[in-house]
Amino acid sequence: MSETDHNGTPEDDRRVLAGEYVLGVLDATERRAAVQRIEYDADFAREVAFWEEKVGGLADDVRPVAPPEGMWSRIEAAISEPVATPAPQRGGVWNNLPFWRVFAIGSAAVAAACIAALVVIGTGVLRDEGAPLLANIRQTSPGGQPGFVAAIGAGGTLVIVPASLLTADQKSMELWLIPVAPTGTTATPRSLGLIAPNQPVRITVPPQLVPLVTRDAKLAVSREEPGGSRTGAPSDDIIAVGDLTNL
Amino acid sequence: MDVVATRSQLAAALARVADGDRAALRIVYQDTSAKLFGVCLRILNDRSEAEDVLQDVYVTVWRKAASFDPARASPITWLVAIARNRAIDRLRASAVSRRAEPIENAEAVRDEAPSAVDLVVAAEQQARLKICLGELEERQSSVIRSAFLDGMTYEQLAERMNVPLGTMKSWIRRGLIKLRACLER
Repeated sequence: MSETDHNGTPEDDRRVLAGEYVLGVLDATERRAAVQRIEYDADFAREVAFWEEKVGGLADDVRPVAPPEGMWSRIEAAISEPVATPAPQRGGVWNNLPFWRVFAIGSAAVAAACIAALVVIGTGVLRDEGAPLLANIRQTSPGGQPGFVAAIGAGGTLVIVPASLLTADQKSMELWLIPVAPTGTTATPRSLGLIAPNQPVRITVPPQLVPLVTRDAKLAVSREEPGGSRTGAPSDDIIAVGDLTNL
Repeated sequence: MDVVATRSQLAAALARVADGDRAALRIVYQDTSAKLFGVCLRILNDRSEAEDVLQDVYVTVWRKAASFDPARASPITWLVAIARNRAIDRLRASAVSRRAEPIENAEAVRDEAPSAVDLVVAAEQQARLKICLGELEERQSSVIRSAFLDGMTYEQLAERMNVPLGTMKSWIRRGLIKLRACLER
């Protein structure tokens, strides 16, 4: 809900907010918050899907307009750009610079940050922990530029590296693990501690959380009051989210 | 233009796109691009921006086709949702001030199969939506419809209808609650 002038139940509020988001009446800030909520609130995501399906038919009123002739070629060219594909294991993937360059496609600064990640990780932090899970933690602002790149070893060692320039301010940045929730339930974000906006950080995931570090779980970064969240839950200000994937 | 006449054919094409089949993406493109371009153009009111967004939409479809679940969504509403989200994000991100008036049919339609995708949204679902919108007050259904089609914020809708912002919010929110209850039935 864009403002608290509605005195419904939390369920009503969730339904209305999802409807507002799908309708498109939210301003840029409210919309960003709604997009973030889809990432971590499964009930809200379901509600958004409900609205999209039920009111999508309103688009029947839009008259089709043929796109220009060259459009398909543009699309074909765009989908031919390299995407992250597993590189051959020759010499170990850590030595494979092209992999890191394409992992977070973007500016030279991003490529540089990925190489920084390679250096940090390649120096042996994770060497003994087997195949790590990786996450490209993208900023939730429009455009979704990479915000951080993280790798977690099977033993629970996590390295997170900023992948673009983030402004440091009075707020703290906190890293959260959002486990895969069983169908019909909502995942509870678990804090993994504070991270730095401008340098790589190494974190040891608490042993009780290691089993929750699985493929398709998410890592999210929130801005919190200095020192981190006092409620045990992330603030509404989630600045970046990414899925854990296998190498 | 080949017309994919049924929901299941379009869903099957999307499943092949998820497997990396470019020819299948081309089929999806041929059957839905005029509709989705119309959707983007209506929201953005700028041909060049709408073209950029349309490209982005099909690249997204290419990468995310695996997340389409035919049990939960119909292919066309899934595609329309992607197109609308991209177009609205672009609109909100651009500093360009919004047009004061909506455009109606600003572009000549150059499409031999204008309603190809209309066949794909289940008729009964469409009928239900129509009934439920019909149960709302006239002004509620009208602003809900125009919010959806034009991607306007509460503020812009209030300005256009010349009512206070709070009034506009309460029209739409009450409308949504009623609509939700009806659609669920």
